[in-house]
Amino acid sequence: MELKELFNASNVNLDLEAQGKDEVLLELINLLHLDEKAKEMLFKMLKKRENLGSTGIGKGFAIPHCRSLVVDKLNVAFARQRQGIDFNSIDDKPAHYFFLIVAPPVEISNYYLPVLGKVAQFCKISDITSRLDKLTKVEDFLKLLADSGS
Amino acid sequence: MHESQLRLLMFLQDLLFLQKEMQDFQVVEKYEEMGFPLDRKEKIEEAIREVTEQLDRDLYHRFQQLAKKYDRPMAPVKKGVCYGCFVAAPTGSKLITQHKDIIEFCNHCGRILYRTD
Repeated sequence: MELKELFNASNVNLDLEAQGKDEVLLELINLLHLDEKAKEMLFKMLKKRENLGSTGIGKGFAIPHCRSLVVDKLNVAFARQRQGIDFNSIDDKPAHYFFLIVAPPVEISNYYLPVLGKVAQFCKISDITSRLDKLTKVEDFLKLLADSGS
Repeated sequence: MHESQLRLLMFLQDLLFLQKEMQDFQVVEKYEEMGFPLDRKEKIEEAIREVTEQLDRDLYHRFQQLAKKYDRPMAPVKKGVCYGCFVAAPTGSKLITQHKDIIEFCNHCGRILYRTD
């Protein structure tokens, strides 16, 4: 599965307003369009996952992820926050680009880890942050994913 | 009582799955290769304890019994069918006809049912 197939206008936000780690998680969860109780559960689960080790992988990227019963298929979201958020990243630098990946505990297609791996690879592309900074609309983000072969 | 109990059980199931992943050396290695440090894996035990302390004792006991029998003691119900054993739930099921937060067990396999729709 290619990353460009997973993203669309409804799960991408290039102007995140969040000012803290929890707010980022909540805004990312909102992009999945779940019901309120599912959102609450997912937030708790993502927080527990963060407690095991931050998903801020450095270079301005964070990839919060978890498996949860509240979803019945792989769900993803992307958001950009220009000012940067302290996400306890491994390089201690603020995070600006956030990918959220959530999957049910058991998936027939088993896309969760491969997709997580592809996102992590995408984040390692040289000059990717400057290209992400220049995006002005969601379509540009989708094109960037396609052009990167992710 | 049962409204939040179902959500707690679902949360517990998620945490137990995460714990299982963290005990799988190959999966942990994959996460670390991707760049995710997992230096506080022991925190998962604490989270599981917090949730189990809030659960009704009888319900938790039943969950544990089911967990001995099945990898997944909870199963989603979709279009009236238990996705644990693929047998239709009774048509009068309150979980199906009324709301999502009621505790119901599959009549066939006994798993705790939940809805994601």
